[in-house]
Amino acid sequence: MNLFPTFDWHHVFVQPWTRDFGLFGWIMLMGFLVSLACGLVGKFLILRRMSLVGDAISHSVLPGLVIAFLIARTRSSGAMFVGALAAALLTTWLIDWIHRRARIKQDAAIGVVFSSLFALGVVLISLFADRVDLDQDCVLNGELALVPLMAPVKLAGWTLGPPAVVRMAVVALITVAMVVCFYKELLVTSFDGILASSLGIPSIWVHHGLMLWLSIVVVSAFEAVGAILVIAMLILPGATASLLAQRLPTRLGLNVVHSLLSSVIGLHLGVWWDCSIGAAMVVAGAGLFCLAWVFNPTNGLLWRWRRNVLEEPAPEPEVGS
Amino acid sequence: MMENEAGQGAVRFGRREFLLMTAAVLAGCDRSGAPASAPAATGVITVVATVGMVADLAKRIGGDAVAVETLMGPGVDPHLYKVTADDLVRLQRAELVLYSGLHLEGKMQDVLASLGGTVKRAHAVTDTVPREKLLRPEGFEGQFDPHVWFDVESWSFCARSIVTILSNLRPSEKAAFEQRGAAVQKSLRELHEWVKTKVAEIPEARRILVTSHDAFNYFGRTYGFRVIALQGISTVTEAGLADMAKLVDYIRDQHVRSIFVESSVPHTTIERISRDAGVTVGGELFSDAMGVLGRRERDYDLGTYDGMIRHNVHTIIEALR
Repeated sequence: MNLFPTFDWHHVFVQPWTRDFGLFGWIMLMGFLVSLACGLVGKFLILRRMSLVGDAISHSVLPGLVIAFLIARTRSSGAMFVGALAAALLTTWLIDWIHRRARIKQDAAIGVVFSSLFALGVVLISLFADRVDLDQDCVLNGELALVPLMAPVKLAGWTLGPPAVVRMAVVALITVAMVVCFYKELLVTSFDGILASSLGIPSIWVHHGLMLWLSIVVVSAFEAVGAILVIAMLILPGATASLLAQRLPTRLGLNVVHSLLSSVIGLHLGVWWDCSIGAAMVVAGAGLFCLAWVFNPTNGLLWRWRRNVLEEPAPEPEVGS
Repeated sequence: MMENEAGQGAVRFGRREFLLMTAAVLAGCDRSGAPASAPAATGVITVVATVGMVADLAKRIGGDAVAVETLMGPGVDPHLYKVTADDLVRLQRAELVLYSGLHLEGKMQDVLASLGGTVKRAHAVTDTVPREKLLRPEGFEGQFDPHVWFDVESWSFCARSIVTILSNLRPSEKAAFEQRGAAVQKSLRELHEWVKTKVAEIPEARRILVTSHDAFNYFGRTYGFRVIALQGISTVTEAGLADMAKLVDYIRDQHVRSIFVESSVPHTTIERISRDAGVTVGGELFSDAMGVLGRRERDYDLGTYDGMIRHNVHTIIEALR
């Protein structure tokens, strides 16, 4: 038995673009749309030191799911989506509230809120719904690989595509539009709260708006493709782009490139390894991050190493942030 | 300095990765002419079943008119299963998809239910089990316990639905399907009677089945066992200390001789309880997945439904006798 799958050029690189393009094309598009929406929102989360809020939401939706089930008495997608969204909004609001009122740093506030809410969910299940299977993986999180099998949406005689792809395309388009429209507000409030208030920008409302949109993006993405891809793509595109460029518009452009490359490369890795495709896309995204880290021309590891070894030992170069 | 060392490590890593990738690509080039997998021969129905229990029925009823593939193999917890690229292609190409239903497959069922095609391609085999035969936890109407296969008599209704589904697809083979279906139902009736006579070998007071998760309620109801599970149906609620202490007390009070682990659930907690309560672990039961096909025990194959039930009953009887 082979421990590692054998590599077959035709199977990995030709079939996804020919025989199976009707399946894998949708998966690449879906992966790209999710990474795009998450990456653009995530960029501003990183600037606000809140990159793990996506991971937090993936856990803290649990009480929302349980309460939605206890009220609606069904595990249908609609009820679960509403419950998860409400819990996500509560999570971001509580994180902000605790951070401001208790003067605790954001990372600690995130930790406090999501672990408490997840625990509350577990307690609620134990008390009221012990005999029903109700975890995120069972009732909320979708599966990227199943997206192409959904019956396509038809609109005015046009066959658009699987419903999850259509929904995610709308979410991604609105995300791009919002980043373009509110670019100045997002930029200033992320870097400098005092400058923002002197310019008359209401930081708190920008923050709450960002958190509201974040909740919608991540919960609809969980529903469509599952948690791992969403959590990773809030962070990886932004982190990779910030290694390669200093100016924010360039970084946002690189975000998009990262999203595109990781979904296309990830799909091929997923076909090769015959594993979860979402996870393979995350591995590809992490690989791109490592490449950027090693090879980026301004202060990549490779160039620093070259400078240190081949030239005379120079003082440690300044690391730009 | 620290950064430098890390840097060299990363450069080596990057280079090795690159070499590996190059080697893999070159190796792949040699085989680029490998043919795509041949299309299924005409006439044979390609069936994809989600779990082994369903696949077993489909194979026995379909005979050589079907080619059955299973998504979740031996030892796979349906909660933790992830769809891979190959699974997607299988699902897409299969003429028929059979799943167990009653939320065993979680969110995947929503997608399967909407699976496209000229005729309905995916069917839940438990649809034909009369609803009054199903267990519903108190207070949750419509949220049935999915583990029906442990009531052999109720499970045999699924054989009827497979006969109907296959006959609709290949009316010319209807007689053969009917005949094999009747044979399967007869053998399931015999299996049901066999379980009842085996169970009668142990006194009623000793018919207590302690396992890790709530998979054996049908078994308990049909064959007269009190079933005590450490975990609820949902796998996010881990066993609390109080639960464990209560269970240990119960085991001592009732003089339970042995408790059981499951093949698709980690063993540690049950082993711990067996030490605390001073009882033996009676053996490993199959709960959500069958064994490996071709591995024999006594006069049955552990990779079949028949073998799964017989193994469980032998293990339980031997340990509690």
